[in-house]
Amino acid sequence: MSGFRLETGGRIDRGQPVTFSFDGKTYTGFAGDSLASALLANGVMLFGRSFKYHRPRGLVAAGSEEPNALISVDRGPGRFTPNLRATGVEIHDGLKAFSQNRWPSLAMDFGAINDRLGMFFPAGFYNKTFMWPRSFWDRVYEPAIRKMAGLGDAPTAEDPDVYASTYAHCDLLIIGAGPAGIDAALGAMDTNKRIVLIDEQDELGGGALADPALWPWLERSVKALANAANVTILTRTTAFGYYHDNFIGAVQRLTDQSPEITDSPREKLWRIRAGEVVLAQGAIERPLVFDGNDTPGVMLSSAAKVYANRYGVAVGKAPALMASHDSGWHDVFALAKAGISISAIIDVRDSVDSALMREADRMGIPVYLNHAVVGVRGRHGVSSIDICNSGDQRVHRVQADALLMAGGWTPSVHLWSHSKGSLKWRDDLGAYVPDVPNENVQCVGACAGDWDFGTGAVIDMLPTPKDQSRIKAFVDFQNDVTAKDIKLAVREGFRSIEHIKRYTTNGMATDQGKTSNLNGLQIASSALHKPVPEIGLTSFRPPYTPQTFGALAGHAKGALFQPTRTTNIDSWAQAHGAVFELVAQWRRARYFPKSGEDMHAAVNRECVAVRSSVGIFDASTLGKIEVVGPDAAEFLNRMYTNPWKALEPGRCRYGLLLKEDGFITDDGVSARLAPDRFHLTTTTGGAARVLNMMEDYLQTEWPDLDVWLTSTTEQYAVIALQGPNARKVLEPLVEGIDLSAEAFPHMAIREGRICGVETRLFRVSFTGELGFEINVPTAYGRAIWEQLMAQGAQYDITPYGTEAMHVLRAEKGFIIVGQDTDGTITPFDAGLDWAVGKKKPDFVGKRSMTRPDIVAPGRKQLVGLLTDDPNVVLEEGAQIVADPKQPIPMTMIGHVTSSYWSETLGRSIAMALVAGGHDMTGGTLYIPMPGKTHTAKVSGVVFYDSEGARLHV
Amino acid sequence: MSEALIRQEPVSETPFVSEGIRISLAPPMQRHALRARNAEDLERLLKVKIPTKVGTSQGGILCLGPDEWYLRSAMGKAIPTGEGLPLAVTDVSDRSICLIVEGQRASEILMAGCPLDLDQFAVGRATRTIYETVEIIVMRDAEDRFHVEVWRSFAAWLWMAMTTAARH
Repeated sequence: MSGFRLETGGRIDRGQPVTFSFDGKTYTGFAGDSLASALLANGVMLFGRSFKYHRPRGLVAAGSEEPNALISVDRGPGRFTPNLRATGVEIHDGLKAFSQNRWPSLAMDFGAINDRLGMFFPAGFYNKTFMWPRSFWDRVYEPAIRKMAGLGDAPTAEDPDVYASTYAHCDLLIIGAGPAGIDAALGAMDTNKRIVLIDEQDELGGGALADPALWPWLERSVKALANAANVTILTRTTAFGYYHDNFIGAVQRLTDQSPEITDSPREKLWRIRAGEVVLAQGAIERPLVFDGNDTPGVMLSSAAKVYANRYGVAVGKAPALMASHDSGWHDVFALAKAGISISAIIDVRDSVDSALMREADRMGIPVYLNHAVVGVRGRHGVSSIDICNSGDQRVHRVQADALLMAGGWTPSVHLWSHSKGSLKWRDDLGAYVPDVPNENVQCVGACAGDWDFGTGAVIDMLPTPKDQSRIKAFVDFQNDVTAKDIKLAVREGFRSIEHIKRYTTNGMATDQGKTSNLNGLQIASSALHKPVPEIGLTSFRPPYTPQTFGALAGHAKGALFQPTRTTNIDSWAQAHGAVFELVAQWRRARYFPKSGEDMHAAVNRECVAVRSSVGIFDASTLGKIEVVGPDAAEFLNRMYTNPWKALEPGRCRYGLLLKEDGFITDDGVSARLAPDRFHLTTTTGGAARVLNMMEDYLQTEWPDLDVWLTSTTEQYAVIALQGPNARKVLEPLVEGIDLSAEAFPHMAIREGRICGVETRLFRVSFTGELGFEINVPTAYGRAIWEQLMAQGAQYDITPYGTEAMHVLRAEKGFIIVGQDTDGTITPFDAGLDWAVGKKKPDFVGKRSMTRPDIVAPGRKQLVGLLTDDPNVVLEEGAQIVADPKQPIPMTMIGHVTSSYWSETLGRSIAMALVAGGHDMTGGTLYIPMPGKTHTAKVSGVVFYDSEGARLHV
Repeated sequence: MSEALIRQEPVSETPFVSEGIRISLAPPMQRHALRARNAEDLERLLKVKIPTKVGTSQGGILCLGPDEWYLRSAMGKAIPTGEGLPLAVTDVSDRSICLIVEGQRASEILMAGCPLDLDQFAVGRATRTIYETVEIIVMRDAEDRFHVEVWRSFAAWLWMAMTTAARH
C-alpha cells in the first residue's frame, strides 16, 4: 500500500469533498484534485495495462507527458472519451472513469500472458510473424491483434456535445504560464500589446504550483494579469499546433470539469494569429532506464513533488530516489519537508555537490553514490528495490514503497519544432534546445534549457550486472518499447533514429515520446558508438497532446457542416412535395411525386407533360457569368471552340469549353445582349470552375483585353418553360417582347418584363420542345413561378425535376458534361464536331486537337445504345464488351454513361462511350450486368425528333 | 406590377437579438459590380468620387481590388451601363443580401468564423473575405456595426452560423 493524503499542504480545497468512481468503485477526493492525485490519495497505484505486454502500470508523471495512466471517462450516452491522461482529468462529483486495455479486470488481466511470452515479441514481431498466409491477415491476425493490443474503446454513439470555435489575433502570444511565461506576460503587460496567455492546466503557475515558496508571488502576478485589460488568459487550453506565419491552434476545455451537462459548448477551438510568440512550455523530466522501471510506484521525482506540494498527496510512506541529476535530490528534500520519510537516495554518480550531501545527512537520509537500481520487487506496487554498487558489483536490498527517478530534463521543444525552428544538441544537458527560429518566436525558461535544477550525468541506461537480454528496462512506456528492442533494431541494421523509431515504435504512441525520445536516442547512440547528433532527431508534429475530433470540427457539424445552397423557388418545391437531390452544393428538386407515385411514375408523367403540353423547371442553379467590355466577343472567341464575333446582339449560341488538353470541360448556351455584353451560362457544378478558368486566362494570357467577368449565377432566378404550350402560358404575362416564332426565333434572347418584373427571356431548349428560360431578379423567382403555375393551369402545367430533365435531354442526345464525358473526351469523341470552328486560328485546346493520341483511331466515342429487349434499362456505368464469350477478364471497350426509360418512346435508351464507337452504328454490343448479359444495337445519340421539327414552332 | 409581387428573402425578416448582438436583414438595395482599368473612367461615367485604396469605401462604393469596385445604392437610382466604354457595370442587386451585425459583441461574432483582425478594421473599411468557407464582403459601418454581404444561397447558412456563434 502506498500513497496517502498528507495532513496539510497542497492547493486542494479540503472543505470541498468530491465523490467519483474508478472502474465502478467509489472514491472521495477534494476540489482541486486531478483524477491521478485523488486516486493516489486513496492508495491506488495501478492505473492501467500496457499496450503490448498488458503489464500493470501506474503513474509516471503528474502532467500531460503521462504515458501510462490512460483512462476513459463516461459522461453519459454519446459522451464517452477514451485515452485521457488521469493527470489531466479534474475530478468532479459523479465523475465516472475507467481503466483500459484489460480483461476481465484491471488487477486480473488475461492479456498479461503476453508479458510471460515477451521474449517471443521482439521489435518488428508483427511484421515478421503475421505475413503468411496473406488471407489470414484480414480475418484472423488483425482482429486478434486489435483485440489484444490497443488503447481505449472508440466511441460508438454520435457525440451530442456542441463545440465552439473562433479566430483570435494578438500581438504577443505566450504559451505556458509557469514562472517564465508569467514573467514574460508581466514584462509586456504595461505596453499597448494585445497579449494572450495560454496554459493547459486549470490554473496558472506551471511548476510554481508545486513550490509553496512561490505561491505569494504567483497570487500577486495572476491578480495583476487578470486585471490587465490587454491580457487574455486562457486556462485549460492546449496549444496543440504551430503553423505558418505564427498561426497557432489551441483547444480550450470548457465544461468537462463540471458535473452538469448543459447545451453550452464543451470545447472551443482557438485559431490564433500572433505577431510574436513566446514559448514557455517548460521541460519534462526524463525517466531512467533499468529493469523493472515500469512497476507501479516507480515515477518521476518531480511528479512526486507535484503530488505532495500541489495536491497534498504522498506517493509512498518511504520512497527512495534513483538519481543521475541534482534535481531529484531537491525534490526529495521537499518531500521530506512535507513530512514524507525518504528511505534512500541512490545516485549513479560517484560524487555530487557537497551541499546536497550535507542536506541529506542533516535530514538523516541514507545516500548510496555510485549505485544503481538493478531490480524492483512487487508487481502491482513497489515493495523493495535491489541496488548494485557499480564498483564492486555487490547487490543489496533497500526497503521502499515507491521509487522516484531523476534522470535529468528534456526541454519541451514540440511547438518550436512545429514552427520549423532549428535545434542544437547540448552535451551537458543531454538534450536538444532551440537554436535558430523560423518565425517571430522565442523560447524562454526551461524549454530553452534555461533552468536552475542543478546538474547531472547523461547516461543511456543504468549499469547492471544482469544479462541485458533477459531484463525489461522500458524506454517507451506507452508503446512497451524496451532498451533491448532498440539494441535489436541497431543489430538488424537500422542506423537513423527515424528508422529505429518506426521499427521499434519508440516515441510513436499518443504521447509522441515526451518521456522516451531522448533515452531512445542515447541508447541508439551507445549501440552505434556515434554521438547523438549524428543519429538525428525525430520530428514533432501536431497535436502536442491528443485533441477531440469535436473540437477540431468546431461548428462544422450537422446543418453547419457545409452550406446547402437553395434557390428562391426551393421553398415552393418543398411545399409541393418535391424529392430533392444534391448537385454540387445545391439542393435541387429531383421529381414531384403525386400521391402513390414512385420516382418512375412521376418522371414518366413529367416527361409526357413536357412533350404533350407544358412543363416548368427551376433552372436557377445554372452558372451565369456576365462578360462585359469592348473586347468581350474577342475574349469568348478565344475561349470557346466556335466563332463568337459575328453573333448578333439578341442571339444565343451553344458554347463548348475545352481545357488546354483539348478535352471538354464545360458547355452552355450564351447570349449576346449588346455589342459589349454577353450573358454566359455554365453547368450547375461548373460555375465556379469556369469563372476561375476564364479569369485565369484573362489575367495571365490576355491581360491586354478590355473585358471583365462577373458572376451573376445568383442574380437571376431561372425558370424553364418547356413544351408545345409554353408560348401560350407566357404570352399574357410578358410585356415588351413579341413572342411570335418570326420575331423571337429559337436561340434568341429578348429583354422586357414579365408580371412587371424585368426579365432576360431566352428562347432555348434543353428538351427539344418549344422552350423559354425566364431570368428574373432572384428575389422574384418564386412569385413569377407561382404566376406561371396559375397561368398554366389551363394547360395542366407540370413542374418537373432534374430526373425528367435528364431523360428529356437524353432523348434528344444532349450531353451532360461530367456524365457523358469524363475529362478525356474531345468534341469529336462526343460527336460535337459541328461546334468547333474549323477556320478559327486559335481557341483554348485547339493545339491539342492534332496530338497523335487525339487523332489516333480507336478513341472512345459517344454513341447511342438501343437494347434488343426494349424493356431493359441498362445500368449507368455498366461495362461494354464486343464478345461475351471471351475468358474473364474480358476486354472492356467502353461503358454506359446515361441510361433511362423513355416513356415518350415506349422503350429504354442509353448513351455510351465505346472505343471506335462511331464506326459501329448498327452493330451489336454486349453489356454484362448482374444476372445476365444484355445485347444492344449501336445507334446515333438523337432518339427523338431528329430533324428538330418540334423546336422551330 | 412588381410592387404587387412578393420578394422572397433567404433569411428571416425578424432580427436575431441576444445579449450584446443584433443580426438583421438590410432592406433591398441596388448593387453593381464595377470594373475598369482606370478609376477615372468610372468617375466620368457615374459622376462620383471613386475610392482607389483597396479595402476602403466612399459614398457607398467599396474598393475591393485594384480594378474592382462594388456600388451599393438606393432602389430606383439609375445607374448607367457604360456601353462602349472600357469598363464594366453589371447589375448584381439580387445576387446578395446584406446582414447587419451590430452590438457590443458584433466583432466577436464575426471573428468566430472570419479570420480577419477586426480590431484593426477601422470604420469605413470594406473587404471581401470569408466566414468559415463562405465568401462574404464585410464593411464596418460604425464601431459596433458591420454590414455583411453574402450571396443569397449561402445566406441561410451564414445566418445559422452567426446566430449559433452568438448563442455560444
